[in-house]
Amino acid sequence: MKSLRKIKTFLQGFILFNILWYIIASIISMKVLPKPTDVYLNMNHLYGKSLYIHVLVSLYRIFSGLGIALILGISIGLIMAYSNLGSKLLNPLVYFTYPIPKTALLPVVMLLFGLGNSSKIILIVFILVFQVIVAVKDAVLNISPETYHPLTSLGASKLQVFINITVPAILPALLTNLRLSIGTALSILFFSEGYGTQYGIGYYILDSWMRIDYMAMYAGIVVISLLGFALFILIDIIEETLCKWKATSTN
Amino acid sequence: MLEIDELSVSYLPDKKAVHALGPISLKVDSSDIYALIGPSGCGKSTLLHVLSGIIKDYQGQVTLNGKKINPKKHDIGFIPQNFGLLAWKTVYKNCLLSLRIKEKAITSSHIERIDYIMDKLNITSLRDRYPRELSGGQKQRAAIARSFIMSPDLLLMDEPFSALDALTREEAQELFVDMWNQYKTTTVFSTHSIEEAIYMGKKIVIMSHCPGTIVEIIDNPLFNTKNLREHNEFHKLSAHLRNVVKKGWKL
Ligand SMILES: Nc1ncnc2c1ncn2[C@@H]1O[C@H](COP(=O)(O)OP(=O)(O)O)[C@@H](O)[C@H]1O
Ligand SMILES: [Mg+2]
Repeated sequence: MKSLRKIKTFLQGFILFNILWYIIASIISMKVLPKPTDVYLNMNHLYGKSLYIHVLVSLYRIFSGLGIALILGISIGLIMAYSNLGSKLLNPLVYFTYPIPKTALLPVVMLLFGLGNSSKIILIVFILVFQVIVAVKDAVLNISPETYHPLTSLGASKLQVFINITVPAILPALLTNLRLSIGTALSILFFSEGYGTQYGIGYYILDSWMRIDYMAMYAGIVVISLLGFALFILIDIIEETLCKWKATSTN
Repeated sequence: MLEIDELSVSYLPDKKAVHALGPISLKVDSSDIYALIGPSGCGKSTLLHVLSGIIKDYQGQVTLNGKKINPKKHDIGFIPQNFGLLAWKTVYKNCLLSLRIKEKAITSSHIERIDYIMDKLNITSLRDRYPRELSGGQKQRAAIARSFIMSPDLLLMDEPFSALDALTREEAQELFVDMWNQYKTTTVFSTHSIEEAIYMGKKIVIMSHCPGTIVEIIDNPLFNTKNLREHNEFHKLSAHLRNVVKKGWKL
């Protein structure tokens, strides 16, 4: 099992990392870098102080952003791959906007959509959707014409071709892309939660920092890291169940 | 009965028409096996693509049992040169594909037939494997099983055995003739091996250079003969074939 192996690797890394952290913290011995043991012991406390609400709010933003980006990205990617007109219209737009650093749009998004949840979700969508579009479009265009022949000769309908060929053919690319996107989405979330909100793990970290509550700050950093890892493993598990047919090339 | 009347096909790469096939006319009786033999690039695949509904743009008439050929109306088994198994489906699911696409309810008599055919082709133990975990011969047998399972009106095979090594090829040829003897499926296949044409074709169609036309149709007395090479007639026939082939291919 790939995901089990990954969890094992993660645990090894986690232990090594903490040992290093412990040693460095002991040597430096400053308040800005507490020992990991102190941070973990302190986390119990914070649970009572509604750390979990911040986690839930962040999860809500991430999943909404991801969900919308996937729905939009997959639809637009398919249109670009299967329709000539669609690709003629959308191609220049996608390739022009692809390299623009979307984080720079934060102020614009906030001016247009306010300071609330929607602007944060929209920012995540902005950043992920282009990658999804390009991944889906390329995956569809990479399907060789011969792949369709057996279904064509069976008289398959468009829907049957979509279900039996298009979906399984784009799934691996989509999941690989999603794995890369999760990291980006978390960074963006952290960044955008610095503005106009009282909730979210990003806010929690920045707020603790301002209040010079280093224990809480580190606890927040640990939590956001675990969150990223949990999402990573989730994608691995999905990939393992849906893409069994692929050679397990990644290790 | 399959009737091909003045069929001719052109490809249109970059707006410049390439005349690839014909005009050819041919009548294939029910329960016949036609071997198409001709030089590489003479249009064998093109002809099979027309018969399997993959190429819809052609001149002339093609009818199967009195109706214009149409994969949505006829049951056509097409085995492309690369066997056409879907990489994301197991052997069993690949075998079921023809029934699924035809939206036939899978009855217990279907299951019996599937089990029987898979057993006969010796792929029962491979049912849960994915194509990437199969050898060439095993893929080939899975593809043959998939086509026979839906009891096709017409079976088409594009150079079915040329990707196999010599020993596997002989075995596969024998298995195929065995299957054919049982189900008497109307079959058209292409080959570039004179020996294969003599062993497996009841009628042998010799085609000319591109654009392929029919040079000669030979009634093959040696069809389905074991130990071909020990027969005198085999050498006479293959010498004759070689002769026609040489003449035809020089034209
Ligand atoms: N998609 C295509 N576009 C343009 N020309 C093609 C295409 N497919 C085949 N041809 C041409 O048509 C001719 C017949 O090809 P093909 O049917 O594949 O021959 P064979 O199967 O007998 O080797 C060849 O000259 C080939 O170059
Ligand atoms: Mg060919």
